[in-house]
Amino acid sequence: MLPVERVIGEEGLSATADGLRLAMRLPWYRSLPFSTVEIADLAIDGVPVDLGMALVEYDGQSWPLAAMGEQTNAFWFVRDSAFLYLPGVILTPGSEHTVALTINVNPPYIPGMKRANPQTQLLRAA
Amino acid sequence: MTTTAGAQVGVTLYSFTNPWLTRQFDLEGLLREVSRRGMGPNIEIIGFQSFKEFPDISDAFAEKFKELMTEIGLNPVSCAINSDRFLKPGQQPIDDASLIEYHKRQLRSAKKMGFSLVRYQFALPVELLPQIAPYAEELDIRMGVEVHAPMWAGHPAVQAYGEMYDKLDTPYLGWIPDFGGTASRIPESMLDAARAAGAREGLLDRLKEVWLEPGMSHEKAGRLREWALAEGHAPAHIQAASLAFFILANNDPKSWAALVDRTIHIHGKFYGMGADGQEEAIDYGTILPLFRDGGFAGTMVSEWEGHAYSADDGFEQVEAHQAMCRQIFAG
Repeated sequence: MLPVERVIGEEGLSATADGLRLAMRLPWYRSLPFSTVEIADLAIDGVPVDLGMALVEYDGQSWPLAAMGEQTNAFWFVRDSAFLYLPGVILTPGSEHTVALTINVNPPYIPGMKRANPQTQLLRAA
Repeated sequence: MTTTAGAQVGVTLYSFTNPWLTRQFDLEGLLREVSRRGMGPNIEIIGFQSFKEFPDISDAFAEKFKELMTEIGLNPVSCAINSDRFLKPGQQPIDDASLIEYHKRQLRSAKKMGFSLVRYQFALPVELLPQIAPYAEELDIRMGVEVHAPMWAGHPAVQAYGEMYDKLDTPYLGWIPDFGGTASRIPESMLDAARAAGAREGLLDRLKEVWLEPGMSHEKAGRLREWALAEGHAPAHIQAASLAFFILANNDPKSWAALVDRTIHIHGKFYGMGADGQEEAIDYGTILPLFRDGGFAGTMVSEWEGHAYSADDGFEQVEAHQAMCRQIFAG
């Protein structure tokens, strides 16, 4: 996998008492407004995860994933991880899981272009 | 700042996209590495790749950046800005006033950090130029639109911009040629990456034929796809092979002659330097003398784009490319 194709962040997966946090990388060569990025699919151990209640956390801010399309003036710096927080998804700290994440990017200066970036990785929940 | 007559050879940090994305370097570390390797002093930086605060750079960051550049002897020549019109996928583009303001924010930031020009994009509708050019003049920063594949000197969009340039008649507007639009062949390193991804030789042979045919890039990509699916090639292999249609075009290398007069900066796009010291796909021996002999006195930045299919860090590639270009510019 090329660096520009990576979507699962180096910080990996962390289990909290009331949810799960997954690090994500932006699969593009430059920063993009969050509104042009889609968290398309997530599966853990082959089971699709409902993203209806998911939150996106970035740089001290947080918003519902469902409202990410409105974030036209919040830029995901290409070198940073953003985090997907999943309330109610409980994993045992130290357990290993196969995480499959797909992030789509729609570069805002190339009309009609959508690139899907899938990645699957075995992660240990911190 | 180094002031030498004639064309200068510099580098864009975009060449080092791989070590940047893998966090091998932070911005200061990468700039110091470029300086240490003698790849400057003139450099280009993509605002939205390297500056977290972009498009609104703070005074404090700008001061710190300028101090660092002075300390390490680099000269910030070009800041690449973006014409992000489609902020909501599948919906209408942002309105003209917002797009103009978006450009002004980036122009202000580039100026504040000491850049002398910006690279902008054809995604900016040409009819908005009369509302932006006076602002660039006021800030005293030049704007060069990037002529990038599939565009070239004879493309209708380039001609429309040329007509507007004639009308506005200001030295603050110009061209930034990107040589990917006049490649003579598909880089062997790109074909090797497709082979490594599993593409069969028959698919690559057909790719090489279709790439040379007339037509728009997306039409040619569609033509290859249709043929390849019928022949039983896997979609992933077709996708790997089709990259060539979107970043390279085979227009006449000599066609750049028409743009030399208004060229303010150059993207020395390249993919792989061979053991013979030559670029594998783009005929620099034909292209660079057009600019050298035409009196171009700006900077050509080495722009290695092999990171689209290779995990190499780009440093040795850029060193070899710069050596070739300096030799050609020296005549």
